[in-house]
Amino acid sequence: MKLTKSFNRSLWAFHFNSGSCNGCEIEIVAAITPRYDPERFGIKLVGSPRHADLLIVTGPVVKKMRDRLLRVYEQVPDPKVVMCVGVCGSSGGPFYDSYNLDGPVDDVIPVDVYVPGCPPRPEAIIYGVVRAQEKLERLEGERA
Amino acid sequence: MSDGNPAKTTPYTVPIGPIHPALKEPVMFTFRMNGEQIEKADFAPGQTHRGIEWMGMRRNPIQIVHLTDRICGICGVSHSLAFARAVEQIMEIDVPERADYIRAIIAEFERIQSHLLWAGMAAHELGFDTLLHLTWRVREQAMDTIELLTGNRVNYGIIQIGGVRRDITPDQHPAIHECLDYYRDLQGKLLRIFLEDATIQMRCRDCGILTRDDALRLCTVGPTARASGVNMDVRVDFPYAAYGDLDIEPILPDRYLGETRGDVFDRIVVRLLEVEQSAGIIRQCLDVMPAGDILWETKIPKILAAFKKAHGEAVGRHEAPRGEVLHYVRMDGKEHPTAWKVKASSYSNLMSWIPMLEGEQIADIPIIVASIDPCLSCTDRVAVVRGGRRSIMTKEELHRLSVEKTRRLMR
Amino acid sequence: MSGRRMTPDEVVAVFARELGGGVRGTRIAERREGAKKHPSYTIWIDLDREALKPAIRTLIDIHFPHLSVISGTDIGTAVELNYHFSIYYGTKGGEYMVTLTVALPKDDLRVPTIADLIPGAVFSEREKQEMLGVEVVGIPDGRRLFLPEEFPEGVYPWRKDGTGIPDAMVKDLWAVGRPANRPARPVVAREVQGEVQAAEKEEAKVTGRAPSTEEAERHE
Repeated sequence: MKLTKSFNRSLWAFHFNSGSCNGCEIEIVAAITPRYDPERFGIKLVGSPRHADLLIVTGPVVKKMRDRLLRVYEQVPDPKVVMCVGVCGSSGGPFYDSYNLDGPVDDVIPVDVYVPGCPPRPEAIIYGVVRAQEKLERLEGERA
Repeated sequence: MSDGNPAKTTPYTVPIGPIHPALKEPVMFTFRMNGEQIEKADFAPGQTHRGIEWMGMRRNPIQIVHLTDRICGICGVSHSLAFARAVEQIMEIDVPERADYIRAIIAEFERIQSHLLWAGMAAHELGFDTLLHLTWRVREQAMDTIELLTGNRVNYGIIQIGGVRRDITPDQHPAIHECLDYYRDLQGKLLRIFLEDATIQMRCRDCGILTRDDALRLCTVGPTARASGVNMDVRVDFPYAAYGDLDIEPILPDRYLGETRGDVFDRIVVRLLEVEQSAGIIRQCLDVMPAGDILWETKIPKILAAFKKAHGEAVGRHEAPRGEVLHYVRMDGKEHPTAWKVKASSYSNLMSWIPMLEGEQIADIPIIVASIDPCLSCTDRVAVVRGGRRSIMTKEELHRLSVEKTRRLMR
Repeated sequence: MSGRRMTPDEVVAVFARELGGGVRGTRIAERREGAKKHPSYTIWIDLDREALKPAIRTLIDIHFPHLSVISGTDIGTAVELNYHFSIYYGTKGGEYMVTLTVALPKDDLRVPTIADLIPGAVFSEREKQEMLGVEVVGIPDGRRLFLPEEFPEGVYPWRKDGTGIPDAMVKDLWAVGRPANRPARPVVAREVQGEVQAAEKEEAKVTGRAPSTEEAERHE
């Protein structure tokens, strides 16, 4: 499905770090700062999962974070879309053989959009957000 | 947070965390509060322990270099450099001089982007989001140059055991100089915004003080230690890479302000002045950089064979943006190291939170926690335990408390 | 703190004089980098366990040291702890690293705390307790540091003997497999079976490659 010309909502995202190296974190923040400025389109990071449409997850999910990730996932209101940023969330990346991991992310919660890269560029993250918004509009269309 | 609660005035406990895992390990705080004031602070790191050292002992140093890049996404070169230097000492190999200079140049660019990143986050914690966006916009200039030189914005992957992977070619020099000139022209503006702004003065002056004695006793490093008046900078004290050839003075707050108070404001001063210093170091490096090879050995199998002949132990240190990083490596004639210990800079600085936080107000927690630059610091979730009742306080609310305090002070 | 900065040899001599038989061995490593080849020195001192605290007091008398970290190695019969200090920071090009090493036999893994002399050491001592299973006697705060609360007792990640990480704790995130909740494969005809075997062989060839060669090829 193509994104409609006028989005039917401003997309709010909550970022959850499940044990990432912080490379993805700074690229996510870089993606919302003035060079890219997605806030023009109403896309912004919020401080509570209850306000979010999109859950952005980074990191390979360490054991301590598994339950917290599940709890945060449940707090995001429906319809929701989950985006996994960075390769360690999709496959463990360089941390694949650690003794303290419960990942990858899609072993814990369902993931809709994967953004590969270590870390992905801000452009890639924004592209992922656009795909997530498309999926969200489709989910809403199905509900209506 | 019910109003009629009789336990409201007695000391209550506020756990914060797990924090934004900016560190190698993020932190969970517990505060004992008396009203708005922090009586006692404690913390527990390890919320996202990945066991990197254990994984490293199963891999060979060429593979570990990529792992060290990913210990911290902001210190993309610091850990790799310290680790490579430790392994090179065990193997008793000399790195080409040109590689030493390229290592120093990349490390200084990293310092520029890291300090700007921190300045933006500090402004954000104070509720000064315009400044967050301003500093992050100017930071992109350094990111572009890093990308030009290494091919990556984050996790540069430029360090190799015995040198660096990419050379700096003459046609890249104009772009580097353009970036350095940009920061030279910007420096006055940044200093004016951060140091002369009345709000930042009110929030940061005499807030979160760390005395020189505490800084020494708690083993703090980097800008946090220097802001408390400890003259300590690995680049100057313990020369390595190209730093021994250059003229560098450690940045101490009394040289700019005439006194050292060891508060949050001093930490801002040290970091902002270091941006200018780093640009100066890169200029010096470009001027005197020798020609020659950039790698001790280009063939990977030969390097791997050399690991099998390496016996011994060594320590590699580097002054990362946040302070000293130290890697201890021990090799016993196998491809993989027998022991590997990573000491990140924040590892040394975390203990200093306790004297800084005790006696301060709850609204000052975000800026004090951020002031040692534990990479980014964002409080994830705060649970308030008050008289046995537990209610959840989000990072947003804590941030709101901080912003409200700024507004109150401005009235 | 004495006024004049000693040479590395003099520092070693002070330790030999103050600690006598407690010093088992010393080594001074020199490293020169950059174009000017400015030297930097790392002093390694091997100590008896009993000499550790007096050695740190000696170090404090020379110059209040900066403790970077305590590292540790399982060397089979013993666990070695290295205390990485630096002295004379703040003097241009004049800092020395001083590493004090003590070996603790596996049947008596105890070491006195140094947190009474250097309070910042407690952080690193807590880490050594959980990672190597040593007991730091008199530690003011003996809680775990990095490992989660539910981490099994008696497992120490950096140990190379039976108390190290068991294979069962490692979850290979790269592993891909046929989902377990699908129905069993239908009975395959002979030629199809041959195909499956060929595919499995192919798979073994891909996964069986040693990581080191794979890495090497990527860089070539």
